[in-house]
Amino acid sequence: MGILTLKNVCFSYGKTPVLKDVSYDFEVGKIYCVTGKSGAGKTTLLSLLSGLARPTQGSIEYNGKDIKKIDKYNFRSKYIGVIFQSYNLLTKFTALENVVLSMDIAKVRKINKKAKAKELLLSVGLNEKEAVRPVLQLSGGQQQRVAIARALSYNPDIILADEPTGNLDRETENEIMEIFRKLANNGKCVILVSHSPSVASLCDEIYQLTKI
Amino acid sequence: MYVIKNALKCIARAKGRSVLIGIIALVIATSACLGLSIRQAAQNAKETTLNEMEITANISVDRRSMMQNIKPDEDGFDRDAFKDKMGETSSLTLEEYKKYAQADAVEDFYYTITAYFNGSDDLEPVTDEEETEETEQTESKNNMPEIPSGNRGGMRGIRASGDFTVVGYSSDLAMTDFKNNTASVTSGTVFKEDTAKKTCIISEELAAFNNLKTGSKITLINANNDTENYEFEIVGIYKAAESNEFSQSAFGTSQDPANRIYVSARALSNVIKQSQAVSTTKTTSDGREYETALNGTINATYTFADSDSFAAFETQARKLGLDETYTISSPDLNSFEERITPLNTLSSMAGWFLLVILIIGAVILVVLNIFNVRERKYEIGVLTAMGMKKRKVAVQFVCEILVITMIAVIIGAGIGAVSSVPVTNTLLESQTQSQTENAEQLKNNFGRDGNITNNTAPTPPDKPNNFSGKMDKMIGGAVDYITEVDSAMNLTVVFQMLLIGLGLTLVASGISVLFVMRYDPLKILANRD
Repeated sequence: MGILTLKNVCFSYGKTPVLKDVSYDFEVGKIYCVTGKSGAGKTTLLSLLSGLARPTQGSIEYNGKDIKKIDKYNFRSKYIGVIFQSYNLLTKFTALENVVLSMDIAKVRKINKKAKAKELLLSVGLNEKEAVRPVLQLSGGQQQRVAIARALSYNPDIILADEPTGNLDRETENEIMEIFRKLANNGKCVILVSHSPSVASLCDEIYQLTKI
Repeated sequence: MYVIKNALKCIARAKGRSVLIGIIALVIATSACLGLSIRQAAQNAKETTLNEMEITANISVDRRSMMQNIKPDEDGFDRDAFKDKMGETSSLTLEEYKKYAQADAVEDFYYTITAYFNGSDDLEPVTDEEETEETEQTESKNNMPEIPSGNRGGMRGIRASGDFTVVGYSSDLAMTDFKNNTASVTSGTVFKEDTAKKTCIISEELAAFNNLKTGSKITLINANNDTENYEFEIVGIYKAAESNEFSQSAFGTSQDPANRIYVSARALSNVIKQSQAVSTTKTTSDGREYETALNGTINATYTFADSDSFAAFETQARKLGLDETYTISSPDLNSFEERITPLNTLSSMAGWFLLVILIIGAVILVVLNIFNVRERKYEIGVLTAMGMKKRKVAVQFVCEILVITMIAVIIGAGIGAVSSVPVTNTLLESQTQSQTENAEQLKNNFGRDGNITNNTAPTPPDKPNNFSGKMDKMIGGAVDYITEVDSAMNLTVVFQMLLIGLGLTLVASGISVLFVMRYDPLKILANRD
């Protein structure tokens, strides 16, 4: 059994069904790609996996435990790192502050959180100056890296990424995918939501969602 | 901890917003501080004045309550029943007054005895009227016993309005004019306290009018019986500020302060006893009988350490047997109430001002916070999506407002502390001025001056039948208002300011909390996308 398991998950917005009987199993050490056409429910699936939404039917289990039974804030802040399509960074904060805040929320017990955050930002390709710049002064690719660093800051088991390379050039895309590969190799479960064939080709498994 | 750190960062990052909220909070805090300080200053001034005051009380017949208790007959108010009741009720005797002075609440006790005399041939009362036929008639009337209205109404005894008012003091404490520096001895000394000797002091005017000096002897005659003579030795001559302001036109010579003769209560009491011993019954020209004995009016005064003691006195006096037909009143406290009128008005205005400021301020802060929280919707979405509990996000918002409000409260309290005293005094001055103008207007409306003095301190017991003071109040005489306060800010105000700061924070941030708790991060972020 994988770290994250979807059992007959259904979801609808009001009376409009989006997902029906989705059953997936995600394991550590692999990169998964959830693909599908626009409106197939890729982002909805990511919201369900990150605990931002609850399935209308079926269940999602984390290490065999229904995530409904896990405190959603705890689940989001400790076990799952989410990289949103639009990054969702705090724009008035610097890159470093975004990462440190994420560690604070997750109650990471580190003596020097700033140093750890800086290390993470450097590891995803930002330099020291960029790390202390307000997020709004960073490019899309740099913001994407900050979002990745933030998602990794509390060392979650699962990394969820919504179109992580959607706004990036090919070279940066490769760099980001390399980071994900390293994470998978380090025992993380990486789940990417993307409709990019090039991203899908770099993943270990692909789940295809179809529009209902 | 990170919540507070985050709150402080947010305050620093959003300077414009923080400054705007801060300015509004500062205006509210300063206004609130002024309002509270004015109220506190008024309270302090009242307490200080009350503490500094010598609180005295008198016991008198409760005529009003007596009238209220009379059951009406078929013609309405039963006058006969009222007269009978009044007739049955006598003034308290000296022994009774002394008995109530034993009450624990009483700090000190003194009294005066007042009696009216005519002068002998070589002692004429000071008068500014020429001796016309009419005056002679008046004089003759002064020499003739009158049946006072009280007697006709059922009051016992008889009182003649002689040429002189002789006041006997039980102690130096009772000599309020001398105590208050409105009278002073210019020659000789005041008679010894509680002396039985027939020694007296007379006014400068009376001494000059009759060529009298210290050591001279004067003969006073019972106004009801011209065969009764009492000789007093002048041991001192005094000067009273009040004498100059008196006009005799409306009153008899005995009411003129210049014609007051002061003696010891014991000496006067002995004279009255002597007079009573030789008293006879006479008949007036219209056939009414009266006693010729001198009648002394006792005016007893109880002093208290504070207003609480005065409040306790009534219960204690009733326990000691004071009948319900008597009432205890404190002219000092009545006068005090009058003195603090502008202060009370100002305090009340400050209270309303404070209330209005707080309501308007709270509404502005709430509206600002609604805009603030809506503007920061995305931030709330991100924080909750990151796993920050909504409760903590709400706490962060509360902390932000609390920090800004508290800074504003501290600065506001500082500004308030510096400006409250001058502002209070300026407002108090305008209040007093307006009060005085109203009084002046009232005086003009009555069309007469009424011997207005600048002191409406309680009518001292040594001024019997002093109508001028009463008239002052009736027609709006000048009152010695409290026109200045020394301090306004104190720990109470600081504590109240803190409460206001907390209250404003709760009201203003309450709306933020509601919004934060209602927001769904998924919807916020989806809309953003």
